Amino acid sequence: MIMLIFHKNKGIKCSMNTAISRRNFLKTAALGLTALSSKKAFSANTETLRIGYLPITDAAPLLIAHANGYYQEEGLKVEKPISVRTWSNLSEAFLTGKFNVVHFLLPIPIWMRFNTKAPVKVLAWDHTNGSAITVRADAGINSFADLKGRQIAVPYWYSMHNVILQMGLRKAGLKPVIRPQTSPLKDNESNIFVLPPPDMPVALTGKKIDGYIVAEPFNAIGEMKISAKIMRFSGDIWKNHPCCVIVMNESLIRSDPVFVQKVVNSIVRAQLWLSHNRAAAAKILSRNGKGYLPTEEEVLQRVFTGYEISKYGPGASPQAIRHPDWNIARIGFQPYPYPSATRFIINEMRQTLMEGDTAFLNKLDIDSAAKELVDDRFVKQAISAVGGLEKFESVNIEQPWDREEIIEF
Amino acid sequence: MQSLNISYCKLSDKKNVCISRERGMMYRVCYIFFAAVMFFIVWILVAYSVFTRPGYEQFSGFLPIPTLKALYRLLRDSDFWLSAFASLRRVFVGISIAFLIGLPSGLLIGFYERLKLATYTPIQFLRMISPLSWMPIALLVFESFESAIWFLITMATVWPIILNTAHSVSQVNPRWIDMAKNQGANDYQLLTQVVIPASIPYILTSLRLALGVAWIVLVPAEFLGISNGLGYIINDARDTMEYNRLMAAVIAIGIVGFMLDAMIELFQKLVSRGAV
Repeated sequence: MIMLIFHKNKGIKCSMNTAISRRNFLKTAALGLTALSSKKAFSANTETLRIGYLPITDAAPLLIAHANGYYQEEGLKVEKPISVRTWSNLSEAFLTGKFNVVHFLLPIPIWMRFNTKAPVKVLAWDHTNGSAITVRADAGINSFADLKGRQIAVPYWYSMHNVILQMGLRKAGLKPVIRPQTSPLKDNESNIFVLPPPDMPVALTGKKIDGYIVAEPFNAIGEMKISAKIMRFSGDIWKNHPCCVIVMNESLIRSDPVFVQKVVNSIVRAQLWLSHNRAAAAKILSRNGKGYLPTEEEVLQRVFTGYEISKYGPGASPQAIRHPDWNIARIGFQPYPYPSATRFIINEMRQTLMEGDTAFLNKLDIDSAAKELVDDRFVKQAISAVGGLEKFESVNIEQPWDREEIIEF
Repeated sequence: MQSLNISYCKLSDKKNVCISRERGMMYRVCYIFFAAVMFFIVWILVAYSVFTRPGYEQFSGFLPIPTLKALYRLLRDSDFWLSAFASLRRVFVGISIAFLIGLPSGLLIGFYERLKLATYTPIQFLRMISPLSWMPIALLVFESFESAIWFLITMATVWPIILNTAHSVSQVNPRWIDMAKNQGANDYQLLTQVVIPASIPYILTSLRLALGVAWIVLVPAEFLGISNGLGYIINDARDTMEYNRLMAAVIAIGIVGFMLDAMIELFQKLVSRGAV
């Protein structure tokens, strides 16, 4: 069924030539694997830290650790972080050893590790929350139920965004489908397709789509530049959900654990700093500051500090924050990769409609897969080095290393 | 050689054409100016009819005035010049590699019928592939992002160079070749004394074609891990919805491309005149 849709949908895919296609991704992953066995890039000792990132706020911890000199203080030889434009580019460059640390949306390493058998390991969470569903102001969309018969864009099939969106749609009794835009939708269907994030606000204005779910700053840009509305913040649906994770190559972890520890230490330090210096971070990252992201400071300030209950909470339409009591941030920086969340996302991915071969998900034993994917030794040590998990926002002080996944629509 | 004299006589017909063209210099400039004005008017008409609709305020950057303002700001920005230089260098390196590969291949393919037959299928096959599909391979094979971009540009531009060169060889007047052969020329002499001189105008045309293709590939190629370039500016502008900056970069690319093309054209003329 999925394959059939895939072919029918080819027309749309072909027009997006930014190498988003999953086939490209697959091809690369396979190539990358063969390369890894012989590539000298993973030799130990003189390893230079090469950071790859997408120019979005998700990359903040990796970049702040560089801006604040944390890598250097750990004694690491580090190159200036390099940005690429698409997840495909990032994963290609990572698998071919151009980068040795990157951030990926959590479903990407799941897919890489268990479908294409790429030697990736999740070392820590990069950040939490930090995404939203943005809709056109005049579309009259206030809740998931209003998304019936609509066209909604996601940034990537293997994304938190796709998973959370479809959870919401199913909850509202709607059926997510993947169809060409011109084919008619039934009353209980919503059409989902992939669009590169920078094109989302444009497509929204041009009425090609009715909404999109994506990472920041594209929601803040939508709000501030095209007067779009935030329908719902992702963190308000799944409390403090993981989004991007810090990923490194398994062989590097094995050959040079000291190096990996230093990298993770720096990133965790940056995350703690970020939690307390949001406004300063927005400035540093923006093009008015050190220019890691092309975005203006004003937009980043909205991303880092713009979670006002008065603006988005009760009384607002649409009400983007329905759980004002959750006390979360628009984007959070908590490093510990709770296994409960990994298990939850693998389980949800099974029910999420995606293009391509997703059969591998059903073969996975969730518990052992979650254990195999994540290596939390380094992050645990890094957390204790900065004074414990209690130091981070939104951590239950009584039971910091355990949590229950809270999902409420 | 006798045959060359014939070719010179042939080419000398063009001398008059060239001179008469030179006399019409003002005439040409007028036309170019007129075309530019027309282009500007079409741009104004289209842009105002599309981007002034209600709700499209954010896209007013596509209009001429904001674009020209952004272009002015861009031109005063040292980053822009670094970017323009970086992009030019990528295009130059990419095309040079393509030329070094394409010129000899094209000459040989055009010259030897059997080679032409043998390479026809693979060349037709490869040249239809979007150069961007090579991206993963480029990343895999090349150490740096910079060289990956050179590779992408080379992959896009080598085909017009090969095909045009091969075509030009087959266009060489067979009588000249026969004559050279009668004089006892071997293949090497034929190539260097007859075929290459006669092909130069076509080869330069192929360079002009390659130039256009290279700029087309540059923007998506600069998706890869680099931190400057005109394509990079365009990508950044899209990320932040700064369409005036995007349009300014588009115009900058247009101007740079136009100038490069004009340079090759001038060179082309000099060559055809120099042969007289």
